[in-house]
Amino acid sequence: MTIDMSQFYQVFFDETDEHLSEMESLLLELDVDRPDLEKLNAIFRAAHSIKGGAGTFGFTDMARVTHVLETLLDRLRKQELKPAVEMVDAFLEAGDVLKAQLEAHREGGEYQDERIEQVCHHLEALTAGENPPETDAPAGALDTDHPASSGEDAPAGTGWRIHFDPVAAGIAESDTLNALADGIAELGRLQRVDEATGRPYLWVLTTDGPLAAERILEVFDFICDTQHIQMEPLPASGESAAADPGFGLFDAAPGVPGDTDADPGYGLFEDAPGGGGEAGSGMAPDAVAQEAGYGFFTEAPGSPGSSGEIQEGEGYGLFSDAPGSEQVRARDEQDRAEAARGYGLFDPSPGYPEGAREGEGGTGAKASGGDGVKGNGTASAGAGKTPPPPDGQERRQGSGGPPRKPGGGDSSIRVSVEKVDQLINLVGELVITHAMLAESASRLDPVAHENIFNGLSNLERNSRDLQQAVMSIRMMPISFVFNRFPRVVRDTAANLKKKVSLKLVGEETELDKGLIERLADPLNHLVRNSIDHGIESPEKRRAAGKSETGEITLRASHQGGNIVVEVADDGGGLNREKLLAKAAERGVPVSENPSDKEVWQLIFAPGFSTADQVTDISGRGVGMDVVRRNIEQMNGRVDIDSAPGQGTRITIRLPLTLAILDGMSVRLGEEIFILPLTAIRESIQPRPEQLKTVSGQGRVLQVGDEYLPLIHLQEVFDLGTPPQRIEDSIIVLVDTGQGRAALVVEELLAQQQVVIKSLETNYRKVEGVSGATILGDGRVALILDVDELLRLSQRTVRPRLSTTARGDTA
Amino acid sequence: MTEELKERAAVTTDDSREYLTFTLGEEEYGIDILNVQEIRGYDAVTKIANAPDFIKGVINMRGVIVPIIDMRLKFNLGEVEYNQFTVVIILNVTGRVIGMVVDGVSDVVALRQDQIRPAPEFGAVLDTDYIEGLATLDERMVIVVDIERLMSSNEMGLVDQVHQQQQSV
Repeated sequence: MTIDMSQFYQVFFDETDEHLSEMESLLLELDVDRPDLEKLNAIFRAAHSIKGGAGTFGFTDMARVTHVLETLLDRLRKQELKPAVEMVDAFLEAGDVLKAQLEAHREGGEYQDERIEQVCHHLEALTAGENPPETDAPAGALDTDHPASSGEDAPAGTGWRIHFDPVAAGIAESDTLNALADGIAELGRLQRVDEATGRPYLWVLTTDGPLAAERILEVFDFICDTQHIQMEPLPASGESAAADPGFGLFDAAPGVPGDTDADPGYGLFEDAPGGGGEAGSGMAPDAVAQEAGYGFFTEAPGSPGSSGEIQEGEGYGLFSDAPGSEQVRARDEQDRAEAARGYGLFDPSPGYPEGAREGEGGTGAKASGGDGVKGNGTASAGAGKTPPPPDGQERRQGSGGPPRKPGGGDSSIRVSVEKVDQLINLVGELVITHAMLAESASRLDPVAHENIFNGLSNLERNSRDLQQAVMSIRMMPISFVFNRFPRVVRDTAANLKKKVSLKLVGEETELDKGLIERLADPLNHLVRNSIDHGIESPEKRRAAGKSETGEITLRASHQGGNIVVEVADDGGGLNREKLLAKAAERGVPVSENPSDKEVWQLIFAPGFSTADQVTDISGRGVGMDVVRRNIEQMNGRVDIDSAPGQGTRITIRLPLTLAILDGMSVRLGEEIFILPLTAIRESIQPRPEQLKTVSGQGRVLQVGDEYLPLIHLQEVFDLGTPPQRIEDSIIVLVDTGQGRAALVVEELLAQQQVVIKSLETNYRKVEGVSGATILGDGRVALILDVDELLRLSQRTVRPRLSTTARGDTA
Repeated sequence: MTEELKERAAVTTDDSREYLTFTLGEEEYGIDILNVQEIRGYDAVTKIANAPDFIKGVINMRGVIVPIIDMRLKFNLGEVEYNQFTVVIILNVTGRVIGMVVDGVSDVVALRQDQIRPAPEFGAVLDTDYIEGLATLDERMVIVVDIERLMSSNEMGLVDQVHQQQQSV
């Protein structure tokens, strides 16, 4: 079976675009200090969906990036790792890479850039250790050239150097001091570097991730006055390449008139002997201005003055007019996102010697300082990841993707389902209004008012066409989703070295486009889960006496007016014990003696997976969580049937928010009901002798050599009218889940297509009724659900037989 | 007949709120006007199987299927013939659209909280849970009803209990 996958590419592109932007906005909202688990889950799901889609369509490059991304997110989600600003940056960057890749695929090419590798490495490093990556940044290389003041006693990691005078702060007693040290040690690894009396103590705190200075100050605040505390950020080891030269610059400029009258907020670099230069280059924009508030150059000993160029919001670690150094003008390209990508971009002025590199370093250091500022840390991570590339500019462009080709994706538009619904309702109203007009006009003299009659018939034709056109916007055969599965099954099975065949049933079943789109994801998960967890390996299957090739069946049908989509496999079935054990382990509440159904429902708990191993395909336990969530959003239901050794069947039942049903309208007294055409076998005019009773109570109808239960709607629905004589009625023979039944109606009106509306939107489920529709004259007609009707009639009409009847249904 | 009230619905300056008052037999009731979507005449309904008798059925309101409740039957005020003054107040209660048949709509009044006095307890005779209180307007007593609570109560059977049961099974 060959299917042109490219017809679905557009859908994938659009979906992925949505997922990416959703992920991005969630990431941006994420509060690193107090991560919202729900949000993390949502981000994770978005990544998971992208991975699923990318895998399906064979965009392996995207699948790889998302896989790495997902692994880290998974650890965060399970709270094995604490989120850090740096991670958010990495995620955002991964998002950018994915976007670029997506863009490239849209164009039909493949995105190639070392950035992909970098991002993956970075994410892997973040996942593996709790430390920021140390591999990428060639630390030390520059250190030797610039023996950095800060580098000397700074261990790996980010952190702060804390200077304080215990005497002045009133915490000279060792108890208090130890308590303080303990408090700070909770934030990271604390080294009490220098505690010689008579001078400020020096402590060095190393942390795994960026830590806001406020956090440390809070601890101090608890115990003593914070005004005697001074802190400076420690360059992250990953960033030291960038940071150290910056420090080096200061070192290298002893006695240079430093800039001391910087903003009061500036509180760093006290150590810089003769800290040089004042910040210059007033190009720093908003985002930077904040960081600048972070301030660097104070108290530079031996710095006699400044050339006073600093203005508020500037000070980007750049130095002009400093004797002994070339005038350096580095310009930072404001926006943080770019800084995150790396690498702060500098526009070297002509004749930019030696100092240029150092200038870059300075900015790098600056950026790392900004790190501590909440929500501001984007810059540092980027800087830490890669040394500033000389081709920053080009790279930035590259990341924006190649210029988009016109056309292509514009042949379809995505419109919100609501708008289409509104259109459909309006058209419905139009048709009804027309019917009313026609009725009024029918009293007129056709000859005298020919124009009106012509106009009306035109109106009728037009509005019917319009109605059909609007309807067709939403209806699609489910094959649109189903057709992507042969590939999914083939690839997944090959990946897992299993033999699986796929059977599709009921592909022509039409359903709402909105439903189709939203079904794709859940079905994808279900099919992959079935292959991964359901179908056993060929060896196991052989041992169990089954054919080596497992079978997955996708089946769609309108059942009782519902849309039912089944994913069935003939694999090993769910393992009750294992599920219960897992539930106990994960603390998922389970009732005592749960029924099988309850146990099966456990697999829908978030993060619940019985797979022993997390694979590329499944096993993280997201899938089923997403499936249920998606289905519930559509007001649907997921049911699981499973038999050990025989397989699992997952049934998705969707209410018909907007599906079209071929129905037969039937009349009973004043009421009109719609009977789904698919349920109708035949209609007959009964003869009295066909009617028999059982024990004087149960009435059956003899048709051929069969005895069929009779369903009297008047009784079942309690319509208040006495049942008409059976001889005057018409019997509709219907197929139900429990075999055939005979439905007694008064009159068959017409066969028509009806739009199914949910009763549950404003009311509740009514037994025996699957929904409602609006007839041509504006009246509401209920759509019958023959399965439920039969069950109801067994309850109401034949109480004495109900025990056996229930036995059948159960 | 349809009259949009939405725009007029507003909370007035002091702590008073606007209530739509309607009559049921001899009694006058008031509901928060913010729950009122529109007022329309009574149309033929489609009966719903096995529903309590005060649920008259459903109507089609511009493509939306809306259940109709007869408040006289609900409040045991006896059955009255529907005539041209019979109106249906279309309510929007917790996202659901529900129609309520009443004898007639009388007025929109602003009532301050201190004008609404708590209803006396009737013990087991009458469930007063959904009655916010009683207010006096020109010698008339207005029973102020918390329509949200009334409509979402179990006895109304508007909310799907069957569905909830299915989920717990």
